[in-house]
Amino acid sequence: MTTLLVAKQILMTLYSRYEVYITPLLKFLTALITLLLINSRIGYMDSIDKMTVVLIVALMCSFMPMNFIVVMAALFVMLHIYTFSLECALVVGVGFLLMFLLYLRFSPKDTLVVVLMPVCFILKIPYVVPLAMGLIGTPASMVSVGCGVIVYYMLHFVTQNGSAIAAITGDETAVKFSVAKFKFVVDGMLNNKQMAVTVMAFAITVLIVYLIRRLSIDYAWTIAMAAGAVVNLMILLVGDLMFDTNVSLFGVILGNIVAVFLTVVLQFFVFNVDYSRTEKVQFEDDEYYYYVKAVPKVVVSRAEKKVKQINSQRSKTVQRTRSGR
Amino acid sequence: MLNEKRIILMTKMASYEANEGKKNVAIGSYFRSDYIGWQVLKSIISATIAFVVVFGMYIFYDFEVFMADIYKMDLLEFAKHVLKIYLWTIGGYAVISYIVYTLRYSRAVRSLRVYYMSLRKLGDMYKQ
Repeated sequence: MTTLLVAKQILMTLYSRYEVYITPLLKFLTALITLLLINSRIGYMDSIDKMTVVLIVALMCSFMPMNFIVVMAALFVMLHIYTFSLECALVVGVGFLLMFLLYLRFSPKDTLVVVLMPVCFILKIPYVVPLAMGLIGTPASMVSVGCGVIVYYMLHFVTQNGSAIAAITGDETAVKFSVAKFKFVVDGMLNNKQMAVTVMAFAITVLIVYLIRRLSIDYAWTIAMAAGAVVNLMILLVGDLMFDTNVSLFGVILGNIVAVFLTVVLQFFVFNVDYSRTEKVQFEDDEYYYYVKAVPKVVVSRAEKKVKQINSQRSKTVQRTRSGR
Repeated sequence: MLNEKRIILMTKMASYEANEGKKNVAIGSYFRSDYIGWQVLKSIISATIAFVVVFGMYIFYDFEVFMADIYKMDLLEFAKHVLKIYLWTIGGYAVISYIVYTLRYSRAVRSLRVYYMSLRKLGDMYKQ
């Protein structure tokens, strides 16, 4: 444990020293992974499905604010889907517009979650996001996580039903088939019970994790993580029983275990305290009585390396001078 | 000679000004009613655009049926119905916006009060 704490300390020191380089690098990597995943999943437009374009855009993102990654990701998605089908682009575009107009203008800080959620879905670790946002976010993160889930399922629907959407053609008027395609896409997205169950499960998980971790009890974060994972699991399974959402029991259990493991890592970096040294103090001033519970952070100081110089510079010089003579 | 306490206070204040403070100073430059009113107005405009887009989607979804029924239906009644839904939507969204921005304003003002207190403390340090 001490080794891990020392490693954390070293990482923190390194980050604070090279923050100017590390932050753009992290932004670059986030943008690169996001854009590569978008291209690999829905790469319909050849002109932007190129490594050079992705690298240039990712490089631009590294010097811009974090929300620029979200804008570029949305732009890539829209261009790819527009190339595939105008009707799909219309539905997805309206989805993005509603999210931006009705929610994201309230909390621009949470915007990145909307991108991270689909990325985590593709990386098969979606359950980590509601747990992590419950730990480090606010109850408003429920909506951000929900928006992220909706974005993922919108794109998933387009990729899964690509051939079915493309097959809606005929000899009659173009408007008629446009409306038919549009209807098919809207119906498919709105009647997606798996999406609805997942949105509900993740939103409730965020809320429960947030409420428990705010409690003044020992090991609140650990209890919150475990409770969140169990609630998430239960809602997804009950949702499967009620609406037949075809959720894999093994996948959900394994996914939640992995999510708890990853959030333990997050906890180690964000909230590492020593409950055995908790102090409870009580005092008063003119206006209030204070009941304070102080939990110390776990901190280890790095062992300082002392370099002992055996031969001093002066003696070396003297020796050299003597040998020179 | 360097005053360590003053440097610590100035560093904290500079960090506040660069991050959270920037937003709070902008909020604090408004009167309460002006800030909340302006933000609620922006929310109403956003919600109106969103409503128009969703309404357009709704019409396009049932385009054929709508075009077939347009001459048969009571347009005034339909408009009244749409207006009623619009007002409910806007009203609900405006109330949520009002609550959010009221909380945000009071939080910013509280935070700025602490900042101005630190500023006064810094001024006193220079006088000593």
